[in-house]
Amino acid sequence: MAMTVPWAQWFLGFLLVFSSIGVLLARKPVHASLSFLLTLMSLAGLYLQLDAQFIAVMQVLVYAGAILVIFMFVIILFQDAYHKIDLLESQSSRPLLIFSVVSFLFTLGLLGNALRYLTPSQRTVPKDFGMVESLGKALYVDFFFPFEAVILLFLVALIGALYIAKRGD
Amino acid sequence: MDISLMIFISMAMFAVGVIGVLTKRNALIFFLSIELMLNAANLLFVTFAYHWGNMTGLVWVFFVLVVAAAEAAVGLALIINLFRSKQVVDVDQYNELRE
Repeated sequence: MAMTVPWAQWFLGFLLVFSSIGVLLARKPVHASLSFLLTLMSLAGLYLQLDAQFIAVMQVLVYAGAILVIFMFVIILFQDAYHKIDLLESQSSRPLLIFSVVSFLFTLGLLGNALRYLTPSQRTVPKDFGMVESLGKALYVDFFFPFEAVILLFLVALIGALYIAKRGD
Repeated sequence: MDISLMIFISMAMFAVGVIGVLTKRNALIFFLSIELMLNAANLLFVTFAYHWGNMTGLVWVFFVLVVAAAEAAVGLALIINLFRSKQVVDVDQYNELRE
C-alpha cells in the first residue's frame, strides 16, 4: 500500500493545475508539450497517492513514453509553423474564453453544492487494491469481452493512421 | 481521505482542457487540450475507485488509456495530412466545408 501524505496531494494538485494552465500559456508547442509532461508526472504521483500503483506506471509508460514521443516527432516535422499562427490575428477566441470561464465558475458552484451530499465511504479497501495481480484478474475475467473489443479498436486505429498518413496519391 | 480535493483538481484540469479547445488555434495545442480532458476523466475514475474500494474504475482507466493512444495515432496522422495540404497548423484556416 502506498502511504497517503496529505501535503503531497496539495502539492501535486497545484503542480497539476498550474502545469496544465502552462500548456495553454506556452507560446511554442515544444514548451507546451514539456508542460504537459509535468502534468502527466504529477498525475502519476496523484495515482500513487490513491493506491493505484499499476495505473501510475502505465500512465508514465503510455503517455510520457509513447504518446508524447510521437508528439515530439510531429513538432519536429512542423518546426516553425507556429510563427504563422502568431502573424494571423485570432477570430473569435475572446467571447469563447469569457463563456468558458463563466461556465467553469457555474459548474464549480454546482459541484460544491453537490459535494455536500457525498456519502462518506465505509469501504474496506482490499489489501491488493491497484496491484497488477488483482487488476489483471479484473481485466481478463470480468472484462474479457471489452478487452478483446479494445484490441480490435486499436488494430483499426493502427490501420487507419497508416492509411491517413500515407501520401494520398 | 477526503476526495473533494481530487474532484476539484480533476474539474479544474477538465476546464483548462475545454478552454484550450475553445480558444487555441494551433492544432497541436488543441490536441494536447483533448488529452488534458481525457486525463481529468481518468483522475476522477481513479478517485472514485479508491473511494469505493472497487477495481472496476481502474479497469476503465486502462480502457481510456488505450483509446487515448489510438486517438493520438489517428489525430496526429490527420494533423500531418492537413499540414501537407496547406502548410499551416492553424485550425481556422481549414474552413472549406463551411463555405
